[in-house]
Amino acid sequence: MKIKNYLLLTLIIISSIIVSIVAIHFKDSVYSSYYTSITTTPMEALPFKAMAQGVYPWTEPEINQEEKVDFETIKGNETTIKEFTTVDDSYFDDALFIGDSRMLGLSQYCQALNSRATFYAEKSLTIYDIKNTEWIDDGDGNKVSLAKAIEGKHFSKIYIMVGINEIGTGDVASFKDAYAKVVYGLMYLQPDATIFINSIMHVSQEKDTTDELYNNTNINERNEALKEIADNSRIFYLDINEAVDDENGNLKAETTGDGVHLKAAYYEPWHQYLLSHGVE
Amino acid sequence: MTFSDLNFIFRLLPIFLIIYYCVTPTFRKWVLLLGSLGFYYLNEPRLILVLLIMNLINWLFALLLKKTNSSVILAITILLNVSTLAFYKVGASYAKDIIVPLGLSYYIFKMISYQVDLYKGKIESVSIIGMMNYFFLFPQIIAGPISRYEYIQDNMMWLPQGVKDRSSIFLVLHQIEDGLKYFCCGLFMKIIIADHLAVFWSDLKVIGYESLSTPLAWLGAYAYTLNLFFDFWGYSLMAAGVGVMLGFPFIQNFNQPYGANSISEFYRRWHSTLGFWFRDYVYFPLGGNRKGKFKSIFNLIVVWLLTGAWHGLTPNFFIWSMGICLIIIFEKFILGRFPKIFAVLGRVNVLVIIPVTWVIFAIHSTDNLVLYLLRMFPFIDISVAVNRQDIFYYLRDYWAYLLLGLILAIPCVSGFYKRHKDNLFVVLIIFAMFWISIFSLSNSAGNPFMYLRF
Repeated sequence: MKIKNYLLLTLIIISSIIVSIVAIHFKDSVYSSYYTSITTTPMEALPFKAMAQGVYPWTEPEINQEEKVDFETIKGNETTIKEFTTVDDSYFDDALFIGDSRMLGLSQYCQALNSRATFYAEKSLTIYDIKNTEWIDDGDGNKVSLAKAIEGKHFSKIYIMVGINEIGTGDVASFKDAYAKVVYGLMYLQPDATIFINSIMHVSQEKDTTDELYNNTNINERNEALKEIADNSRIFYLDINEAVDDENGNLKAETTGDGVHLKAAYYEPWHQYLLSHGVE
Repeated sequence: MTFSDLNFIFRLLPIFLIIYYCVTPTFRKWVLLLGSLGFYYLNEPRLILVLLIMNLINWLFALLLKKTNSSVILAITILLNVSTLAFYKVGASYAKDIIVPLGLSYYIFKMISYQVDLYKGKIESVSIIGMMNYFFLFPQIIAGPISRYEYIQDNMMWLPQGVKDRSSIFLVLHQIEDGLKYFCCGLFMKIIIADHLAVFWSDLKVIGYESLSTPLAWLGAYAYTLNLFFDFWGYSLMAAGVGVMLGFPFIQNFNQPYGANSISEFYRRWHSTLGFWFRDYVYFPLGGNRKGKFKSIFNLIVVWLLTGAWHGLTPNFFIWSMGICLIIIFEKFILGRFPKIFAVLGRVNVLVIIPVTWVIFAIHSTDNLVLYLLRMFPFIDISVAVNRQDIFYYLRDYWAYLLLGLILAIPCVSGFYKRHKDNLFVVLIIFAMFWISIFSLSNSAGNPFMYLRF
């Protein structure tokens, strides 16, 4: 018997046992957020799910070190209600756009905005990632946090569009809470900025009726919550669905290839909506 | 449940292999049948009835055929099988409530193959357990390869004398090791290369074909080419690997098709179990190339019409299959006269025309197909909102998968693997490939679109 003849089998069996033992040992501590049910998913998957989020057996359990920020102070006493006004493209010269793949699409297919504004957009970005993870390419191939990326820069307007990827994670209240913290955090980092919360864009009727998760009922619930963050003084809610919906409140079928994203040719209505919803 | 399901890899397969090898060799075929029935039931709990009924019908006709050796009985049997396939395929394209049973195209082809081989005397006796194992064989039931009946008869682990041999446990372990290597390579190709490039391809639809730059349209065509190749080759390797683990011989479905010298050769190397099936059960019975040039062309057209219909009934499959057929006829009867030109043009056909044909294969809507082709060949400008930099966005995100695909598509790489598959370094690479695939699977549950990355 030569072990060489069974080397792969031996290695896979031994390593699977080790991975399982590690998973079982840490399932109630560092892996607790990734553990679902042993009946549906083998334990071997657990360490890899955690690893994808940068969590290893030796990772210190997260202690909530949320800085104590006085949001009321950040929001300030400014209570003047401002109205939307029509602006031209130069308005976006000092604007920052943050968002998921839909915002990424806007950067790639709306030259008027991309040539003027700064875009930090990434596929699958969620409100939970914006503040806490290092996701922005600094141009040298390194990833940095949002705080680091905007350090030393000045933005007068910050547009945010996330929310579709978060459906299915947490509830409406926790989503709103996380969103508000990001908004207040941005106001703290960029005291002169006006924040524009873009509504979560609807999905097409076909998607709406066939998807249990990514449908317009769930989107509308969360959009209602986002509206409540706006104070119409420094924080504004932009219902961009007004620009992209059909008469039934679904994303126009002809404007989307997958029911979720706008096709490249259909970003202009969003751009026009932003032009007609500036705040001076 | 597919082969790239974590539950299959870490639970079902190991448990099944333990049970399979714990029983005596003579019982293994029964254990395999039970396993295959269970596997099919897990994937298709209701329409397993269709497979069972077809199995019963084919068994009864096989008994009759064996007794009478009548060509009429054979014709009726073939007609019955083809009608069942046609009923579901045509029915499903018109009525939404008709669902094609899982693996129907594959097991019907095996049934026809069985009956013809029985008629020709290649199969000695009719055995219900043999037939059921052949039709239900779980490594092949979902998407092939389409083996012949002799594959089922060639299982050395079913031979009774093996159990008395003291080294049989090592023989079993060696067999599993061998199959595991194929399985791991296939898993890596499917999960790491094919599934990631599938997301690339679907992203192009998201942009809208009218807004693709011409370079991106071409890159997309090559990305889909690699996606399809590694998806199918990877799956076939996994299926063949599981077969080897069970004691069957290795069954080759892909033999480095992109190393072919012509499109004719490409299709002898691509999904070859399907190609050989059409050759043996359609092309040769029609007369092959022995009855003159025009009959030969006619036979090729029939084979490719059927190949197109087998893949699907939308117009794109017709265009795809007829396009391939025309090129093969051109290569065979015109280009073949000029060997030097053929040597160059044949390779160009494989490396340039094949990716274009895969675009036709992939896009079912004729309007969308026209848009895509016009972006590849912009003779008429239909572009809207094209970002000229778009190819760089996709190269930045997918270059690693494209490069891996290109490297693994080079014939000498698999030649190297065949020569050195027992080398320690190669085994360690396969081991790493296995866990990389598991990492990816753990985070996508086997479906690249599972965590819809918006």
